[in-house]
Amino acid sequence: MDLFLNLVASGLVIGSIYGLIAISFAIIFKTTGVLNFAQGEVMMLIAYLSWSLGTSLALPFVALIVASIVISVAVGVLVERIFIRPMIGQPVFALVMVTIGLAVTLRSLTVLIWGPDAEPYAASIAGGIVEIGPVVLFSEQVFALALFAVVMVLVFAFFRYTRIGNAMRATAMDETCALLMGVDVRRISSMAWAVSAVVSGLAGVSFAIMFSRAPDLWFQGLRSFPAAILGGLDSPIGSGFGGLIIGVIGDLSEGYIGQGLKEISGFVVIIIVLMLRPYGLFGEKELERV
Amino acid sequence: MLTLTNVQIMYDRAIEAVRDVSLTVRPGQIVALLGSNGAGKSTILKSISNVLYPEEGEVLHGEIRIGEEDALALSADDIVRRGIVHVPEGRRLFPLMTVEENLRMGGYLHGRAAVAERLERVYALFPRLKERRAYVAGYLSGGEQQMAAVGRALIAGPKLLMLDEPSLGLAPQIIDTIFETIVSLNRDEGMAILLVEQNAALALKVADYGYVVENGRVVLDGPAERISQNEDVKEFYLGFTEGGARKSFRDIKHYKRRKRWLS
Repeated sequence: MDLFLNLVASGLVIGSIYGLIAISFAIIFKTTGVLNFAQGEVMMLIAYLSWSLGTSLALPFVALIVASIVISVAVGVLVERIFIRPMIGQPVFALVMVTIGLAVTLRSLTVLIWGPDAEPYAASIAGGIVEIGPVVLFSEQVFALALFAVVMVLVFAFFRYTRIGNAMRATAMDETCALLMGVDVRRISSMAWAVSAVVSGLAGVSFAIMFSRAPDLWFQGLRSFPAAILGGLDSPIGSGFGGLIIGVIGDLSEGYIGQGLKEISGFVVIIIVLMLRPYGLFGEKELERV
Repeated sequence: MLTLTNVQIMYDRAIEAVRDVSLTVRPGQIVALLGSNGAGKSTILKSISNVLYPEEGEVLHGEIRIGEEDALALSADDIVRRGIVHVPEGRRLFPLMTVEENLRMGGYLHGRAAVAERLERVYALFPRLKERRAYVAGYLSGGEQQMAAVGRALIAGPKLLMLDEPSLGLAPQIIDTIFETIVSLNRDEGMAILLVEQNAALALKVADYGYVVENGRVVLDGPAERISQNEDVKEFYLGFTEGGARKSFRDIKHYKRRKRWLS
């Protein structure tokens, strides 16, 4: 039983990282229809930048998080402006190819600048071990869980109650009609990239604190992909929950069935889910009035 | 307040949808744009709102002016800021949003207070929408959707409201409601209306001025009464012959139908 609970807990921890990255996939896909294959790399870039800042300035933890958010916004806006904006009007497939190219470029660039070695993320959170009944967690892991909960609530509120969030939903549903409402669709796209970069950037920082900042950080982006599909690519909240599910299933299958299953269990799950619910667990079906 | 001069619009730089169209809407006027399917009416409205580019459409010649300003240089959101609001064909509500969220989207460019006040006015205009405010828009009936679409445009505070086939697919009673609203907006608030319609009889009844569009060209224009007196309009759009008797299309020689506007 203890093993089970601990596996679930560690699954939830890694799942909240997957969930955050999946949310950032979903935000961009929902508003602009682009699947950003460079999401993991954008996340890695932000984590590295934030690491450099944290180690050179020795910022307190809260200041570091705020600085990471600022960096994320800048990275998101720049990526959109430089790589995505010029492609407007091209087929979506071409845009997706651009994100793949961007992914490879960022991966190499990171190694080029920071070198291939992993480094510990110096700015760990004070604390240590937190015990909840039989479950033992590090404070970094608790931080990841808390971060996930906070981001989920904020994302939900953002899309439901804010003017920009509603404009993003409207643009997703009917772009021309959003234009007719006076929505500046290009600005909305740039904001979607910024918001998405913030969410994935926080995930990257949190992951780097738990393990290390290493040039294979981008791989978490790929692992989170099943979470976004599972939850429904057009549903940020659903994608978040998808992350938790994939995380828990990954850890349980590794704990009970065997080493190596963690990597593939998520993809097995999405194959099954997509056969049963092609739009994901929480995705939006086309509304049809009868 | 709005003038189009010799506007030519192409899709994909290959298909000419509109050629040499000139039209004017003056403040406080109701202008009707009549014509059959595919005549280019909707394309004209889209060119005014500057939302042709998602469909690869482009204004190649001519100019569109709002007052003295060159509308072609303005972005779609600037056009809305100038008070020109477009209700697209087929309602186009945001299907997964509630009625109220849809209405609020109309006020995207406006402050909270202005939106709240206009929202109450729209609810007073269409009490049905108030009952349905929490419903998901995609599940509304066609008539309710049209009311919501018009209401959404009104929340943007238009000086010129452009309506693309507001009667399409609606029950006569609903059409009456919509048209009464249009007339009262024009009469009581001095709102200019640019009305695209296939239902010529209905449109000419409320309009001050009319344009007839065929194959992307304006073939006839004039005050609404004069247009409804035109023999060709009577025959082809209103469905009457001189004596008021109905006429079979079999009796019309095909060349006469084809050349009907050239006289």
